[in-house]
Amino acid sequence: MSKKSKLLGNIGNFAVFAGPSVITFTCVLLVPLIYGVYLTFTNYSPIRITYDFVGFSNFKSVFTDKEFWQQFVKTLGYVFYSTVFCNLLAFLLAYLLTGNIKARDFLRAGFFTPNLIGGIVLGYIWKFIFANVVTKLGDILGYQPLMTSFLTHPDRAIVAMIIVTVWQYAGYLMIIYIAGFVGIPQDVQEASEIDGATGLRKLYSITIPLMVPSFIICFFIMISRGFMTYDLNLALTNGQPYGSTRLAAMHIYQKAFQANEYGIGQAEAIIFFITVAVAAVSQVLLTKRFEVEA
Amino acid sequence: MKNKLLVLLLVLTVFSLTACGGNTTGTPATGDNASSNVDASGKSNAPKTVKITYFNTSAEVNTMFENMFKRYNELYPNVIIELIPTGIGEGQQEKLQSLYASGNAPTFMNVDPANVIEYQDHLLEFTEENAPWLSLATDGAVDGGTFGGKVLGAPWSVQGYGLLYNKRVVDEIFGKGNFDPTSIKTRDALKEFFEKCEAAGVPATMLHGANWSLGGHYLTLVYAVQGPKTSDGTGFIDKIKSGEINIEDSPIFQGYMDTFDLLAKYNYNKADPLVGDFSRDVQAFGEGKCATYFMGDWLWTTMVTLENVDQEYGFIPVPWSNDPNAYGNSEVVMVLPKFQCINKSQNTPEQQQAALEALRWMLTEPEGQQFFLDAGFYMPYKNVRDDITYNSMTTSISEYAQRGKTINLGCFSYISGDAWTETGNLMLKYLSGAITRDELAKGINNYWRSVNR
Repeated sequence: MSKKSKLLGNIGNFAVFAGPSVITFTCVLLVPLIYGVYLTFTNYSPIRITYDFVGFSNFKSVFTDKEFWQQFVKTLGYVFYSTVFCNLLAFLLAYLLTGNIKARDFLRAGFFTPNLIGGIVLGYIWKFIFANVVTKLGDILGYQPLMTSFLTHPDRAIVAMIIVTVWQYAGYLMIIYIAGFVGIPQDVQEASEIDGATGLRKLYSITIPLMVPSFIICFFIMISRGFMTYDLNLALTNGQPYGSTRLAAMHIYQKAFQANEYGIGQAEAIIFFITVAVAAVSQVLLTKRFEVEA
Repeated sequence: MKNKLLVLLLVLTVFSLTACGGNTTGTPATGDNASSNVDASGKSNAPKTVKITYFNTSAEVNTMFENMFKRYNELYPNVIIELIPTGIGEGQQEKLQSLYASGNAPTFMNVDPANVIEYQDHLLEFTEENAPWLSLATDGAVDGGTFGGKVLGAPWSVQGYGLLYNKRVVDEIFGKGNFDPTSIKTRDALKEFFEKCEAAGVPATMLHGANWSLGGHYLTLVYAVQGPKTSDGTGFIDKIKSGEINIEDSPIFQGYMDTFDLLAKYNYNKADPLVGDFSRDVQAFGEGKCATYFMGDWLWTTMVTLENVDQEYGFIPVPWSNDPNAYGNSEVVMVLPKFQCINKSQNTPEQQQAALEALRWMLTEPEGQQFFLDAGFYMPYKNVRDDITYNSMTTSISEYAQRGKTINLGCFSYISGDAWTETGNLMLKYLSGAITRDELAKGINNYWRSVNR
């Protein structure tokens, strides 16, 4: 077998197995991305029949778009809080559901179910709950802050979004954490117990360090999903009250499709893409350092 | 070796299956989303099946259009019209833009006049030759669809808005037949009316906490009442854009905001004004939970789907001052809110012809018109049957029209696509007390002066 035919053989193998995915990836992600970058240097819009080059003016306009940066900061806050709370809740649930308790599998399935409901349906259900059920509860309890809907005040609307996001993903992350728990070797745990470690000490020194891969995955999932939230945003608040809960993705969409400023919208999208990529990748690289071998 | 062959075969099968599914996407320049069954009919003298798409922004009546197109297909089996529906107030602009951007522009559509202006380079002009039936439209109706001297939009409905009132509730408060809607010509009269309702224990009015209602309908009154001609309204907006005046300098603006404060004071939704749940508000108004509602006669199409609601309504004007003779104080808005347009840039001549034929049937054939009439729309065409009784809301508007007491909302056509979302959001902030009137005015000024308006 000459070297050349072996190389061709390898390429053939690759093409047969990975070919469809690579082609799809190129057509659906790479080509639009490159075309999009190209379009940021023009003043294209579907309403125009022709378009011309405008150089960097779109990027310059992005830096003067105050609302984009405000919403960007809000999105950062939203991602931070939802990541922290969701992971805390998921970890807690996983810890509780790893022992031998009754109905453990049923509870696991139950906590996972919210994740199966798509973002749009979830948003409408919770919109109804916040507008009608929570307010009714507030009326019964006579507790003023609950009597008006969460969704009609700018700060509380973001809190509502965090609540729904945490509810949606807690089950999903819980499954990953459970897998992580189950993967901790028994002998290490028993050795620590023999050495006199209490539950909390065991958790801190044995369980958590060995669970770092799970943490990496879960944080990565929450951060990337959090930044790209659009369906929940649309269904739950639709940017209301008065545009204050327009997270970054929705703001870009509004800029491009409603205000008709495609160039600026695309430029913002690119800046956003770079930010998310940097955030997610650096998170993985930083936390990888904490990985330990059993 | 055999295994590799098998795998290759499988992969190729998968490829060909994925290639078969789905329609063509087309490109903007070639307009390739042509009739997909042109070849399927085979014989050369059989009529080719033409498939066209229709984009509808009158979200309340998606089902009406569905039924209409089904019937049209029964009469003309070689034309298939596919409806692209939208939701009330949600993402209509974006959907239209994404359709155009992806090369899938709808063959014909029902859109706001602002969209007709935006997309004018893409639209087919209605002329004597291709649309002789348009001469059946009443005078002035076709003017509404004329931009830059070309008729780009065919009118199909006339709607109106103002302060809707529930006749049963008002009769209970004032005694049957005692209330005269023409008596409300000043803000003081309106205030008195509200106070009487409150004294009888009925919340006087309701504002729908949505940006399209407050920004698109309420705030536009400020522009429209500047003068009876469309150019009065657009001239006013141009002056704001150029910085010559600020909106707060206009006494009409201040007047309407004073009335807005009055409406907000007696708002049924006062406890939580921004909820903006349309079905909940309509239900409440229909059941008589409040006396009036700032809304238009298109509400009837939603009201008619509810059970146990009142059937008799009327309109009163929204006064902006205490001068009973001022323009706007005794008038309600009458507007041609939507137009039918045909796209010429992204489809074939056969599709355009099919769309023209379809519009002719919908707008001027009695059977096509009946669909609109059943839904309660008032069609501005001379050959509409005259034995029809409209619902109480539309009848009230036509009454004002007969007395000549209508506000011309022509300037609305020239307001850009996102005006009602952005200025509407400002109005919502003002309604909830988050900003003062000065900040509201500043926000509106800034909106008009920012890029691309």
